[in-house]
Amino acid sequence: MLRRHPWVLPASFLLLPLLVYFAFVILPTLNSLYYSFTDWVGYGDDFNFVGLANFEKIFTDRLFGNAIKNTAIWLALAMTAPTGFGLVLALALQGKRRINTIYKSLFYLPICLSPIIIGIIWVWLYSPKLGIVNIFLRAIGQDHLATAWLANPNTALYAVFVAWAWQQTGLNMVIFLAGLTSVPTPLVEAAKVDGANYWQTLRQVVIPMLRPATVVVFALTAINALKSFEVIWVMTMGGPFNKSDTLAVFMYSESFRKFKMGYGSSAAVVLFLMTMVIIALYFRQTSKAEELYD
Amino acid sequence: MRKGLQDRNTTAFSMTGGGGDWIRRLGTGLLYAALTIMLILFMAPVYGAIATAFKSQAEVAAGGYWTPPSNLAGENFARVMDPEQGNLGLYLGNSLLLTIPASIFSIALGTLAGYGLGKYNFRGDGLLFIFIVAGMFLPPQIALIPVFRLMNDIGLYDTIYAVIIIHTAFGIPICTLVMRNFFQIVPNALREAALIDGANEYKIFFRIMLPLTLPALAVLATLQFTWIWNDFLWPFILTQKADSRTIMVGILNLTGQYTVDWGGQAAASLIGSLPTLFIFVFFQRYFIRGLTLGAVKG
Repeated sequence: MLRRHPWVLPASFLLLPLLVYFAFVILPTLNSLYYSFTDWVGYGDDFNFVGLANFEKIFTDRLFGNAIKNTAIWLALAMTAPTGFGLVLALALQGKRRINTIYKSLFYLPICLSPIIIGIIWVWLYSPKLGIVNIFLRAIGQDHLATAWLANPNTALYAVFVAWAWQQTGLNMVIFLAGLTSVPTPLVEAAKVDGANYWQTLRQVVIPMLRPATVVVFALTAINALKSFEVIWVMTMGGPFNKSDTLAVFMYSESFRKFKMGYGSSAAVVLFLMTMVIIALYFRQTSKAEELYD
Repeated sequence: MRKGLQDRNTTAFSMTGGGGDWIRRLGTGLLYAALTIMLILFMAPVYGAIATAFKSQAEVAAGGYWTPPSNLAGENFARVMDPEQGNLGLYLGNSLLLTIPASIFSIALGTLAGYGLGKYNFRGDGLLFIFIVAGMFLPPQIALIPVFRLMNDIGLYDTIYAVIIIHTAFGIPICTLVMRNFFQIVPNALREAALIDGANEYKIFFRIMLPLTLPALAVLATLQFTWIWNDFLWPFILTQKADSRTIMVGILNLTGQYTVDWGGQAAASLIGSLPTLFIFVFFQRYFIRGLTLGAVKG
């Protein structure tokens, strides 16, 4: 469609952004790989190349194993609860009815809040004496269920997850709603004419048409879940007894609290590789989806 | 992709579509009853924060989280803004000094890159595009340590400039994506007509293309402002002293300072959320358009 241009013109537009991107995004990423093979402690230039020692150590580190387990739980919960809830809300609130517009806005409000503020608010909700969660449990006579949600090793990870999911649900709803606008009305009407009921239409027509949106929701949720740090840090700092310590928190603690920067880098590399797997799956799924609809 | 939430929508596919008239009405009633209960649960944390912001410590301890405040005293707000106490004024200023330039720089660089990729064909342009957009998905953790070291080495550690630079760089992928998609749909005839009239490529970019990009710039401005304003991890890693502290780091510090000051924390949280709530109220359309990029083919 466009004739080919000499490379000088595009380069003159691309040079500056590429330079900044390379210097402050790509180089640091590569540098992390490099540090993961060293024993750097956070200051000075005096460090040694230790080969694969960090990785050998990390895979036998009990705390790392614990962080991997918590990350896996977090990821599994993230792929189900906020995604499913987001879809249900989108299906219920699609359409131009005025009340829908207002409800949609309110469900999506948490997206504009900082995870720091979300963490602070939810810490109060879980407060053993004054928190709304325990007040509610006592009000309905379930006193035995009331607990110090964030200090109890059995509940901390899940309590923090609910706070995180509160924000993620609205985001998923918004993406599903956008996806629903691309479901062609004639297709739905045809199904109706053929006598399909709501559930049949949903399963046979709408869900398949929502595939691109679904792929985005799952990929975004997984990536956000892997890198989520702030909400956990504010609410529990990974505690109690590392029970809510995910990979992102583990990486921060090892690097910036224990100053084992080389070791922390190897944790960052593991996190990075997990993200890469998700991105690879995402690109595969989107190209599949495109084949389907082109 | 460019359709807002409220635009064209399916009325044929509705949860309460089937059945007779009274069944439909009953169904609609039940659906909205369920939605309303969910919404009340969903909004309870927000209500609690607002109510608590106006309560004294004694009132919080007596009434907990639920009850409406007895009066609309601004005492908590005054305390957290007071330079001798919460000092949020300083941190708000720092956050503005960070967020506005970093948003502008990332959008400017993304516009340049997006134009280079969207309006010109050259060998490897597709690969270069993927290489840039992939940065959107990078977990910040992979760059924390090297950036921490780099900022120490070039003497910018513990300054707001370090955070500006890093948010500018990490904003390039999303800005490039949005602008490239935008420039691709701008008709080439515009550019060719200007070329025939003797305008050079840069004049075309600045005089003809840039004024057309306003809607895309609005989308990016709302996105970038919200992300950067709300971000905690980068300023947490790259700054230390109060003079370079951003609002989110300041608010967290406050919670350490007065561990039981619920009213103060709530007031600080409200103040810190005002700019993004402003965007939520007045620029929601653009913000949502940005969030749903890529969700729909088209």
